[in-house]
Amino acid sequence: MNEDQTSLPATPKRVLCVEDEHFINELYARALTKAGYQTTVVTDGEQALQEILSDEYDIVLLDIMLPSLIGTEVLKRIRADKPDLKAKIIITTNLELSEENRAAIEAQADGYVVKADLTPRQMAEFLAQLNV
Amino acid sequence: MDDFEKLEQNAYIYLLFTNICALVPGILIWIYGSSKGISPKTTFAVAIICIVVSFIITTRVASGFILRPLQMLWQAIVHVSSDTTNLPPPNIDSLRLGRTLILSLANRVYQLSGQHTNTEIDHGNISQQASDIVKLFPQPIFAFDKDQNITNVSTSTYSYLNLPEGSLIGAKLFDKLNLEFSTDNTLEQWITDCQDNKVAGQALWQRVRVKLADDQPTKQCDIVACYNRDNTNGNEFIISLYDNSEEYNKDDQALSFVALAVHELRTPLTMLRGYVEVFEEELEGKLNPELTGYLHKLRLATDQLTAFVANVLNVVRVDENQLSFKLSERDWKTTLTNGSASMLARAQILGKTITFNIAENLPSVAVDPVSISEVVNNLLDNAIKYSGASKDIVITSTLNQEGFVETTVQDSGVGIPENVVPNLFEKFYRNHRTRHQFGGTGLGLYLSKAIVNAHGGNIWVKSKAGEGSQFSFTLLPYASLAEELKNSDNDGITRHAHGWIKNHSMFRR
Repeated sequence: MNEDQTSLPATPKRVLCVEDEHFINELYARALTKAGYQTTVVTDGEQALQEILSDEYDIVLLDIMLPSLIGTEVLKRIRADKPDLKAKIIITTNLELSEENRAAIEAQADGYVVKADLTPRQMAEFLAQLNV
Repeated sequence: MDDFEKLEQNAYIYLLFTNICALVPGILIWIYGSSKGISPKTTFAVAIICIVVSFIITTRVASGFILRPLQMLWQAIVHVSSDTTNLPPPNIDSLRLGRTLILSLANRVYQLSGQHTNTEIDHGNISQQASDIVKLFPQPIFAFDKDQNITNVSTSTYSYLNLPEGSLIGAKLFDKLNLEFSTDNTLEQWITDCQDNKVAGQALWQRVRVKLADDQPTKQCDIVACYNRDNTNGNEFIISLYDNSEEYNKDDQALSFVALAVHELRTPLTMLRGYVEVFEEELEGKLNPELTGYLHKLRLATDQLTAFVANVLNVVRVDENQLSFKLSERDWKTTLTNGSASMLARAQILGKTITFNIAENLPSVAVDPVSISEVVNNLLDNAIKYSGASKDIVITSTLNQEGFVETTVQDSGVGIPENVVPNLFEKFYRNHRTRHQFGGTGLGLYLSKAIVNAHGGNIWVKSKAGEGSQFSFTLLPYASLAEELKNSDNDGITRHAHGWIKNHSMFRR
């Protein structure tokens, strides 16, 4: 939707990509950078928690299956510890969740994406719709 | 005896009517004779003869008609008595006069015929014994009357449903028993059908889910039901539940295993799609036409794999009633063309032409665009696969007479033999003769049906072996959902694969 870099504001939006699969990180980092985002990558849950709490990001892409602390737990702790978090948190997963589990996650997150449903470029287009 | 009074009244009206009919020719002749100036004596004589003749005819017809109930009853009695010839059972359904009365009487005849040799048996005692025997059955059994009030159950029913003993008698069946059927033909429908049309009947369902209170796991059983109209002890219906949870849950776990395996595919698939996209972005215009073609095919192959994974997961969701749809207002032409873009590219590479034939001014439709595109793609995929030597595939959309938007995907390919058409929309069904010839999972049509039905539409096929196939489905115009929209959140209506079908049967053809 908003691939053209010139249409983005002067200060690039910051995206934190929490994902333990190296290949996916590489692809997201490339596509998001190309779309004009400043992208940071972390690969485990504890680290993600610290980074998110620093509140320096506009968007967080949060995987669920993560080493050290799973994504849903990260999300829960952040909502408890920092209710006024600025960043929008998008859950990105390839898990097949039951409707109840999914609803529980969606209630706490700002968005939910099945990674396999979007190519990296489509993911960047999706983030452009968030209006952060 | 309401039914008898009804018969009497109807017979009376019928006789009166035929008598009046018999007078008509005589009166007409009288009027004709008077107007032509023929002598009154002659006219009177002719009129009287005419009236007598028509009385004989109408009385003959009327007596046949009025005696038909008696004939049916006689047939029923002769049919059950042991010294009969090969007389067929009465066809009571064809009866116009006194049908309910004769249904009921014939049923009694059949019931009594089982007891007539031993007149000394105390009937009350038999009832009591039967009721005691029912209590001893090891599986859950319900007996209930015509108003679906439970009259008797086996003792094991209480433990099976985890209910306090005695709490079922007198209660409404469906207040206590929460059943989920995988087909539209439910127990409730069968009960209605029996009460409207039958003297006696049996039915069997498999894989019925029995929902229990709170957090107890759902059980799965086969259900056998039998019906006897006006049974003397009030138990018109008896149903027994044969628990098969263990076996069926194993099947379900196998399905969940598929879900597990499929979502393990998602991660490498995400990567594959990602890297293909990188190549497309970086190499477009820099490759020679041959390599560009390969890259294009690589992309189509990943799209196909993505669609397959989505299909399998959606089937699991349909089966577990977890597939939900968000219906919103869409322009059908745009949704249809956007949704089939990838399939168009595939058709082109395989040398097929897809022609769109979409009526102008179609009303906007209520759809979940992603799911409905899956339907279109599944139908196009089939059309491409089974189009054989023919090249042309045509998609037509029109507003049909019932006010639905009807879309048809037509090919002129190998077609479908008539005997397999009824099974096409079943899970894993593929024509055994073409199974080795064509790829596919046999899930596409099953899923398409679930999706279309959940949208409130219907899907069907017309086909002839050797002449091609015509798959059609209907969608609701958005305006017809306006009422429902008022009560939903403003970004559309969320519906599930099973729930919506059940509650919106009025939308179905």
